[in-house]
Amino acid sequence: MEMLYLLLRQTMFFSIPLLIVALGGMFSERSGVTNIALEGIMVMGGFAGIYFINQLQSGMSGQLLLLLAIVIAVAGGVIFSLLHGYASINLKADQVISGTALNMFAPAFVIYLARMIQPSGIANVSFKNTFLISKVPVLGDIPVIGDIFFKNTYITTFVGFFILIVSAVVLYKTRFGMRLRACGEHPQAADSVGINVYKMRYIGVMISGALAGLGGLVLTIPISTEFKGAVNGYGFLALAVLIFGQWKPMRILWASLFFGFMQTISAAYSAIPFLLNLNIPSEFFKMTPYIATLIVLAFSSKSSKAPKAVGQPYDQGAR
Amino acid sequence: MKKLFSIVLVVVLLVSMLSLAGCQAKTYELAMITDVGDIDDKSFNQGTWEGIKEYAEANKITHKYYKPTEASTDAYVAAIDLAVSSGAKVIVTPGFLFEEAVFIAQDKYPEVMFILLDGTPHDAAWENFKTGPNVYAVVYAEEQVGYLAGYAAVMDGYRNLGYQGGMAVPAVCRYGFGFVQGADDAAKELGLAKGTVKLMYNYSGDFADTPASQTRAAGWYQAGTEVIFAAGGKVGNSVMSAAETANKAVIGVDVDQSAESATVIASAMKGLAYMVQFGLKEYYAGTFPGGVAVIAGAESNAVSLSPFSTAKWKTFSQADYDSLFAKLADATIVPQKDEGRTDPTLLNPQYITLTFVE
Repeated sequence: MEMLYLLLRQTMFFSIPLLIVALGGMFSERSGVTNIALEGIMVMGGFAGIYFINQLQSGMSGQLLLLLAIVIAVAGGVIFSLLHGYASINLKADQVISGTALNMFAPAFVIYLARMIQPSGIANVSFKNTFLISKVPVLGDIPVIGDIFFKNTYITTFVGFFILIVSAVVLYKTRFGMRLRACGEHPQAADSVGINVYKMRYIGVMISGALAGLGGLVLTIPISTEFKGAVNGYGFLALAVLIFGQWKPMRILWASLFFGFMQTISAAYSAIPFLLNLNIPSEFFKMTPYIATLIVLAFSSKSSKAPKAVGQPYDQGAR
Repeated sequence: MKKLFSIVLVVVLLVSMLSLAGCQAKTYELAMITDVGDIDDKSFNQGTWEGIKEYAEANKITHKYYKPTEASTDAYVAAIDLAVSSGAKVIVTPGFLFEEAVFIAQDKYPEVMFILLDGTPHDAAWENFKTGPNVYAVVYAEEQVGYLAGYAAVMDGYRNLGYQGGMAVPAVCRYGFGFVQGADDAAKELGLAKGTVKLMYNYSGDFADTPASQTRAAGWYQAGTEVIFAAGGKVGNSVMSAAETANKAVIGVDVDQSAESATVIASAMKGLAYMVQFGLKEYYAGTFPGGVAVIAGAESNAVSLSPFSTAKWKTFSQADYDSLFAKLADATIVPQKDEGRTDPTLLNPQYITLTFVE
């Protein structure tokens, strides 16, 4: 039983960053801007957050420091995403190329930056993990649920779920959300009723920058003791989650939990005698989420819920 | 506007050409080419460079490192070309990835000396092996220091061990094979019943810190593993992270990693600086030991566990270590090497339960 709880807790370490980043991608794409720069933005946000912790950890620790680092990571992500916004909205550049450029730029830039600003001149930014919550008071005593969600956890898990709820409400229940979606479906129509498409798209890209930046920090905290300009493809994985989740918040949640759980199993199956004795190669577990994605895409491609105008620069003059 | 821009461009080009020309006037006698990592990787590049720097500064010799544009033999050879054209007399290449590059360069530049750490020169097809008179090739006996780690861990009271390698390259396999044999021999010596000591064994297939590696380690720790020997670059950082959460132990690799996490109870170290400085000293004494591939192990103090001042053993003592080390040094104990194998079950350990996780 303890092992099952561990697996579910570990799943959170995979799923929460994927969830946060995929939700970020959702806001951008729903506004009509393809954002494959998620990987690069994660690197930027992760670096900003971890460097902040690195600098302040001698004087403070624990949840307050982590919350402040979250703010910094969000800010880092937003600023970096503005480059993508400027290129793809103002300059009407090819959004895939702009995103690719940012993905290639970010890792090199943060390593350069780390070398420049750290007195030791090294590229690795180390941090002390003082953020683990071994047990949440009261809630941790609830059987089963307490063991899964409220023991050996990080505050970022709750932040992730909070973002999910806010995202779902904002996207479907607010005027802003409706306008944002309109800009992604038919920007000309949105413009004709007085919505500023450029502004909405900028906001969409900035939200995606904020969440992807946060995702970079959330991914790194539980799994390492240092950061060195890489998030190992999790930004691209989040894109897959976004598509698998068909650009809808709740579906994105299930997709990220599914991806996360399969990845957890593929990594930890050796600790579970039952799975180990089945003699299934670990590659099988690793492949499963992707094969499932392909199958879902094959069946749903006709009725794909992708925003209609995603990837097309909006030109007001061409209306 | 356009005119101004082109004038500025021309000036910039001229200045950069002049500065390049200025650079070339300066020569560097000692050169090092970095491999896939950076100069500050806390591992191979850094350890080697520190050795060069120390020797060169003490003897006032010009030195410089060159970073290849990418991790390929062509890029390595290009970096060697650049180093030679900048006046290099001795070129140090850390890592087996340079085997082909040195194989090519040793004939191209017969007057330049090469120190190749952790490998022997051969061609791309692994058919022609040649260590020229201008090449000093050092191969480390990782299996010996892996053996030390495995033996010490079991002697220190650990019964559930783990080995987390990175990519299954020869050096990583040797570490793991030594670890298995050391644990097996210690179990035999202590007279433990078969199955008392358990060992989980895995190659992650990368050298990165990923949720996957952290999860694997967390799963092992949850299932009872007490200490994991992590030999895979940044994979080790993920193992340390899992160990911090589970309050378990880690054995580090290549250099003393005790500063990276409080969970590191010891490290299996290679004497990079030592071997480089040995080669350089011989070169300047006019007795460059070229033409041979040296296997550097306990007998030349090229491998060791981290000193007891930073290690956190409970009962394993300096005296225990010294006597075991002496046995490895005088070849009383000769752990098996990888010899192209990656599967540790081929070692067929008799006293421990080995689980190879593919």
